[in-house]
Amino acid sequence: MLNCIDNSGAAVVECVKVFRSKRAAKIGDRIIVVVQKQRNFGPESGPGGSVSISAANKVRRGDIRHAVVVRTAKQLQRPDGSVVKFDDNACVLINKGGEPIGTRLNGLVGKELRDKKWSKILSLAPMHL
Amino acid sequence: MSTPCAPARPLAGLKHTLRQIRSERRVQQRCYATAQKETMPIQNFHPGAIMRGNHKPDNMKRIPVIPPPKSATTVCKDPISAVTQSQISVLDPTGARTRLFDKANIERAKVGDILLVRTKNGDPFAGVCLNVRRVGIDTAILLRNQLTRVGVEMWFKIYSPNVEGIEVVQRKEKRARRAKLYYMRQPRHDIGSVENIVRQYQRQRAMTRSSEAKSRDANSHKKKNNKRGSN
Repeated sequence: MLNCIDNSGAAVVECVKVFRSKRAAKIGDRIIVVVQKQRNFGPESGPGGSVSISAANKVRRGDIRHAVVVRTAKQLQRPDGSVVKFDDNACVLINKGGEPIGTRLNGLVGKELRDKKWSKILSLAPMHL
Repeated sequence: MSTPCAPARPLAGLKHTLRQIRSERRVQQRCYATAQKETMPIQNFHPGAIMRGNHKPDNMKRIPVIPPPKSATTVCKDPISAVTQSQISVLDPTGARTRLFDKANIERAKVGDILLVRTKNGDPFAGVCLNVRRVGIDTAILLRNQLTRVGVEMWFKIYSPNVEGIEVVQRKEKRARRAKLYYMRQPRHDIGSVENIVRQYQRQRAMTRSSEAKSRDANSHKKKNNKRGSN
């Protein structure tokens, strides 16, 4: 179970497969997820209220989508010896071509995305560490 | 031995005869043992004695004996600490980093303090120090902060060439009663983002620096004036 930190409409997703790996996913790994919980934009999105709820949610509960892991609670060692650990696991939904589904991210992402050529997600993120 | 047994019972004396035969055999064995005892081998036997008989100094080559190498314990009592010392002297020539985390130093950075680590590549990272892992050259600190409402923890090697500087932003008022403040991960004890404290500290630093620079400038001006006056 991971948090989804983009505005595609998913809030909590479940990982069902890690691409090209038999181990647990790390930051920058591509995974397949099932959307478990939808984000409700109702009262929170005051200014963006013109868009109806169904249109704002690009994905629905039960959808199978691709995603990229951007934060892990498991500590990750960098080449310089420092170690990063986040409090939660989070991902960003992407389509099969690798473009992010959402248009905005809220929350910081790991810097490892740059090495794995996810610069589009990095540019959307408000902060990377 | 005669067998005084009745012909009506032919096996009646069998037990008796058998016993007699056994006793005779025992006597024979005893004889053997005594005979052996008489012919005992040479006393004070030593295997070197055989060699000593045909020892010829002319035929034997003298084998050079090399003394054993000097024991490492006599050359260097504690090699690991020596290596650590040499590495630290390379990576921390001024000794400031060592002093900052030295246990003998009262003014050292302790757990619970808010530290700011400036790195060569990337933004500086500030956070509460949860743990100091003192392992010689691998000495590292664990900092915790909250960025965009997500808790982040980072380990930094204090002697790493990537780390430019470590500053103490704020000290803990009370001494922490634990060596490792992992309880601060719990939401009940989490102090949240330290961004405001760090920003305030940086502003103060800038102020004091500028004032220092001004005073220095003023002093130099005075000196110049004095010189001019004296001249």
